[in-house]
Amino acid sequence: MCENKILCNTGTVDLSIYDISEEADKPEHIEESKLKLTPDNADSGLAKLVLTLVELIRKLVEKQAMRRVDGGSLTDDEIERLGETLMKLEMKMEELKKHFNFTDRDLNINLGPLGDLM
Amino acid sequence: MINRVVMEKMIYTIVFEKNNPGKLNALLSGIKTIDGERLYAVVFDEISSVVSDMNRVDLITDKSHAIAFAGVIEILEQHFALLPMRYGSMMESDLSIQKMLEKNYPEFRQNLLKVENRSEFGLKIYCDAKKLKKELGIKSEKETVQRPVSEIKSSVFREYVDKKLKEHRIEELLLSYVDSIIAEFTEVLARLNAVNKFKKMTTETNIIDAVFLLEKDKKGELVQAVEDLQCKHPGLNFTLTGPWPPYNFVDMTIK
Repeated sequence: MCENKILCNTGTVDLSIYDISEEADKPEHIEESKLKLTPDNADSGLAKLVLTLVELIRKLVEKQAMRRVDGGSLTDDEIERLGETLMKLEMKMEELKKHFNFTDRDLNINLGPLGDLM
Repeated sequence: MINRVVMEKMIYTIVFEKNNPGKLNALLSGIKTIDGERLYAVVFDEISSVVSDMNRVDLITDKSHAIAFAGVIEILEQHFALLPMRYGSMMESDLSIQKMLEKNYPEFRQNLLKVENRSEFGLKIYCDAKKLKKELGIKSEKETVQRPVSEIKSSVFREYVDKKLKEHRIEELLLSYVDSIIAEFTEVLARLNAVNKFKKMTTETNIIDAVFLLEKDKKGELVQAVEDLQCKHPGLNFTLTGPWPPYNFVDMTIK
């Protein structure tokens, strides 16, 4: 970005340890998070798509569950069962990611101007 | 076999020329284009389309071309109300451009009036996400009413839920903190009569990514408002940029 376009750049927070947004907007990052389906990688491309959607749904379920726990509408036994289910789901996801050699960063889709899916 | 080179027209922007007839052509003669072709205007009534000849096979989408394309729009934006076109917008001939201007004239005019004498500004607000979450976590623990230990069955699953619940509460607190900053700044923007669009939590550190459409002569007031907000929130970094052409405030689909 041109220096003369920066009207104000203030603050003393050290962000050097983070991959800040200018970096995240770089073409390499966008390329990484695009879904690339070709005849050679149809299996892993499809696995990435499916696992990304499963991960999205898992996170939504987890969020909703936490809202209910926080709202106090669940009994201790229900919370116990919920914990067991969510824990097993997370473990299964980790297993699948390992099987297909995916990292957390792989399980995302760049939606262009809308940003990343997760 | 001889390949015929078909020159098409690359459209940079749609300009409102109503009060400056003749000024546009004079300005265009002094502006460099992507590949050295001359810029000229295709006119319909009060609006003009700024174009240059371009061979479609020469159209390369890279940083330098995109910057050169944006450079043309930025120079013109200092003199005219305009609607920036997307890089790579091409049509076959001047005649087809003129027909397109005619067909879309009411929408172009309406959008041009909306952005007249206004520029776009961008504001990004960053935080140290780890530090902020830690601070919010402490606040959350203080605010949470603890149930007596005897009431809670301790198990690995219960501990897992507690951990997730803590993370969830911190996320919720972070979101309400971001909302409070947006509300604070929206109030200032309303006083400046600015149109705004906010995006929250675009990355871990970029908690607010906003764009505003503001009257050009209110730039100083906007800078002051951002500096005031910075004083109130020393734990955040603010980056205000502009003036830009109204990239985010043109709302139309060309027929």
